[in-house]
Amino acid sequence: MAVIAGSTTGRKAKWAVVDIVVVVYALIPVLWTVSLSFKTAETQTDKNFFPSAWTWQNYKDIFTTSEFIRALINSIGIALIATLIAVVLGTMAAYAIARLDFPGKRALVGVSLLIAMFPQVSLVSPLFEMERQLGLFDTWAGLIFPYITFALPLAIYTLSAFFREIPWELEKAAKMDGATPAQAFRRVIAPLAAPGVFTTAILVFIFCWNDFLFAISLTSTTASRTVPAALSFFTGASQFEAPTGTISAAAVVITIPIIFFVLFFQRRIVAGLTSGAVKG
Amino acid sequence: MVSTRTGGRGLSRWRAAIAGAVVLTAVPTIAACGSESGTTINVYLSPEQNFQTVVDRCNEQADGRYKIVYNKLPRDADGQREQMVRRLAAGDTGLDVLGLDVTWVPEFAEAKWLEEFTGENKADAEQGVLKGPLQTAMWNGKLYGATKNTNVQLLWYDDRVVQTPPETWDEMMDMSRQFKSDGKPFRILFTGAQYEGLVVQYNTLVASEGGEILSEDGKKVVMDQGAVDALKLLKDVSTSGLTDPSMPNAQEQQVQQALELPDTEAAFELNWPYVYAAMGAANPDRAKHLKWARYPGIDGPSKATIGGFNLAVSSLSLHKPEAFDAVLCLRGPESQKFQAICDGVPPTIESIYTDDATIEPCPAATTTDKPSMATAYPMRDTILEALKDPAVRPLTVVYQNLSTITSKVLSPPSEIDPDATAQELRDGLQKALDSKGVLP
Amino acid sequence: MSQTVETGAPAQAEPAKKKPALSEGKRAERRLGWLLCAPAAFVMVAVTGWPIIYSVWLSLQRYDLRFPDDREFVGLSNYAAVLTDKYWWTAFGITTLITVVSVVIELVLGMLLALIMHRTLVGRGLVRTVSLIPYGIVTVVAAFSWFYAWNTDTGYLTELLGAEAPLTQQIPSLLIIILAEVWKTTPFMALLLMAGLALVPDDLLKAASMDGATAWQRFTKVMIPVMKPAILVALLFRTLDAFRVFDNIFVLTKGANDTSSVSMQTYNNLIKGLNLGIGSTMSVLIFIAVAIIAFIFIKLFGAAAPGSDSGGKR
Repeated sequence: MAVIAGSTTGRKAKWAVVDIVVVVYALIPVLWTVSLSFKTAETQTDKNFFPSAWTWQNYKDIFTTSEFIRALINSIGIALIATLIAVVLGTMAAYAIARLDFPGKRALVGVSLLIAMFPQVSLVSPLFEMERQLGLFDTWAGLIFPYITFALPLAIYTLSAFFREIPWELEKAAKMDGATPAQAFRRVIAPLAAPGVFTTAILVFIFCWNDFLFAISLTSTTASRTVPAALSFFTGASQFEAPTGTISAAAVVITIPIIFFVLFFQRRIVAGLTSGAVKG
Repeated sequence: MVSTRTGGRGLSRWRAAIAGAVVLTAVPTIAACGSESGTTINVYLSPEQNFQTVVDRCNEQADGRYKIVYNKLPRDADGQREQMVRRLAAGDTGLDVLGLDVTWVPEFAEAKWLEEFTGENKADAEQGVLKGPLQTAMWNGKLYGATKNTNVQLLWYDDRVVQTPPETWDEMMDMSRQFKSDGKPFRILFTGAQYEGLVVQYNTLVASEGGEILSEDGKKVVMDQGAVDALKLLKDVSTSGLTDPSMPNAQEQQVQQALELPDTEAAFELNWPYVYAAMGAANPDRAKHLKWARYPGIDGPSKATIGGFNLAVSSLSLHKPEAFDAVLCLRGPESQKFQAICDGVPPTIESIYTDDATIEPCPAATTTDKPSMATAYPMRDTILEALKDPAVRPLTVVYQNLSTITSKVLSPPSEIDPDATAQELRDGLQKALDSKGVLP
Repeated sequence: MSQTVETGAPAQAEPAKKKPALSEGKRAERRLGWLLCAPAAFVMVAVTGWPIIYSVWLSLQRYDLRFPDDREFVGLSNYAAVLTDKYWWTAFGITTLITVVSVVIELVLGMLLALIMHRTLVGRGLVRTVSLIPYGIVTVVAAFSWFYAWNTDTGYLTELLGAEAPLTQQIPSLLIIILAEVWKTTPFMALLLMAGLALVPDDLLKAASMDGATAWQRFTKVMIPVMKPAILVALLFRTLDAFRVFDNIFVLTKGANDTSSVSMQTYNNLIKGLNLGIGSTMSVLIFIAVAIIAFIFIKLFGAAAPGSDSGGKR
């Protein structure tokens, strides 16, 4: 960490205040959702920020049916697999784009951007038909492939931005020390690209986790329906009532894995790995 | 293999991961095949709390000839339509019974996705059904759906505030003004957001004025004087200062919740009957005083727009005879009565309204009392009255287009200029009917 | 993949060679490049190839799902119909306004947040995780939370600010929509920018401060240049997404009072109106608009774009 002046308690306190401001700004609407999830049915519509009557009923309700649990399992599995594959494929492609010279490089970058730019709403129906023909409709693979596809552009761009910044000399130094290209990659480049890799992993995971459009269009049963889509199936007491209590509870529950994912990965986005690596 | 600080992107590790991923994705696919024996009838309907009980009962009745599976569709109507259209357009044979909102029948029928009800099925589906709901299941003189439930908006009020309910809009506005100057709750609540709910309100006003939006055959735009008068009324109400400030953004749930607030400023609510049960849960104190009346008319009783669901058989279904059978059971008199009492949806079969026989307690009931229409559905008489003189939304293949354009032109209601808006509607609707032009 | 890459060095030494035959090292490099890109390229093209082509093909046809017999090829007349439609241009204007304003705010706030997340001395893990929660929450739920906050009857924010039904008027509701967008996606920018910050070498900063540079100068002269690629990615992808805003508007106003976006209009025509021809046309037009934006960004950032130099050999 860049330490420009000595860290005194004063500086720490100043940062603590700043932290609190950030936390409050980030959390107010979230707290409202959390509060809604704990409110009883009668107090749902009162304007109080904090529940006047607490209940765990909403949470109990969402876990009593197997649908939500199944949706959670689907979400976790699909998002993890898609993230893993997208990051791996993206890393490979980004390395090639950033470090190597080959024809078709610009085309690949252009095509991936094109894919990121095309409105997904009009791709859903043809994709649906394709998957139906291939028997992938309503399966995990049916969601994993589109997720990888639409996450790759961001992954490639982000990762190549990081690979670019790594000095070429490091790789040459490693090779001169006798490492094969693969070893040079693993021992020298990959650690330096870590901030980019973990950032990409976080962003891709959140994208897969929260996607609604594909989840609702490419699934039809609990076999592969993920949580954002499952939220639309929560029953209120009638067709006109959105069950705010259970939806809020579900929203809180599905945010928790994200918190863990981010908490785990954000530690790896650290600075200073480049300093001192190139001598002279 | 060499482990690195990044936690192992070593070759064997990620090979194993890819293999694992392939296996994981393959397993659910494999498991999904080959688990059925016998005929399965897939019903696609919006989520209703007690419909599964109806399905179970009909499965018992089917006695092994087929098994009905209840596939839920999203809660919002647009989402339901989107799911069904996508799959029907792609020729998916996996849908057998479709739960259609009343405005979708012409569209689905014209796209050749529905199988016609004929012979005995037709007679069964039509028996004892009220005229208004039945009309929504027909297209071009043929019956394409069996009515499952209907719906109609009523006027709701707290009898501690309103002693005698108004019968016309003018009366209601006068009473509201009086309340306002007396410092009592006074607001008139209705759904004014830019969506189908606004079209429903407008349609009710037009029908009550005796006007017409489209011609009888649904091919030409009429927008006669009655329709223009309805525009004027809508504008007057919206600019009178008697409505809720958030009315232009209010859907059913906001309107319902506004009257549930303990310190509400509202006196009159125009909404579907589901609010009765909702008030019971949200504000039991006010629920004891919640009363209802028919939707206010203009010169006489109103013609309120009806909603509801019809069950249809997909023309792509591979088990049509069984599907028809299932449909007739799922919306039969017994099912409708059960769902009226336990789910609060008004039945379409007239005799149920006067049926006072009790049934077993509802699945989620907290008491062991046996409910009946009299105890669980006290507003049935008013609803029946309203259903006997209903307004139906324009029956046309391009209804969605009409609805989108109408809701856009009418929103916000306070900015309506009766003549100019009428002309705008005429032009926009005609283009929609000719399937020309771009929707907003 | 065990090629002899050390012959890449001699290939470097002859950049001006005009002989068409490539050296062994260059060929190996190309093979490696293709090999590494192949899986990604394959997946992307296999999944989206046909859908995109089909969409463009549909935009050239008059095709309404409810009148399947009227389907016919009409060339560019769909484009003419959309581009002369006043609703389209209103939506386009609103979308552009929302995009520009929210991205600018997000860039500034995102940079601030990135600096905080990167440098804070207290509770770093907590701040980083909490800051990302808005981005991690399901969009519709967050939008609904804002709706509740600003709706007259239930809203705690309307009371706080004394606003009268802000969601029923155009400008206030646009501001609220922008607020919802900014709140939700600033973390996306912040995360990318923070990772970019992680690349800034500490010794450079120390050297700069020893040379007497102020914090602002250190920021603009040292940090930003190194972060340029990260900034480009963040800006580019955020703008692409912002242009396609849908959920927040749908929940907050349903597009009333002319707050509709081009995505909402496409949805209305494609999914509600079942007009595949017009709907696909709008998609292509949105794509073109977004492509122009991307083009401008890439030109602005020049060398910071990926693949823009011949291999990063510095």
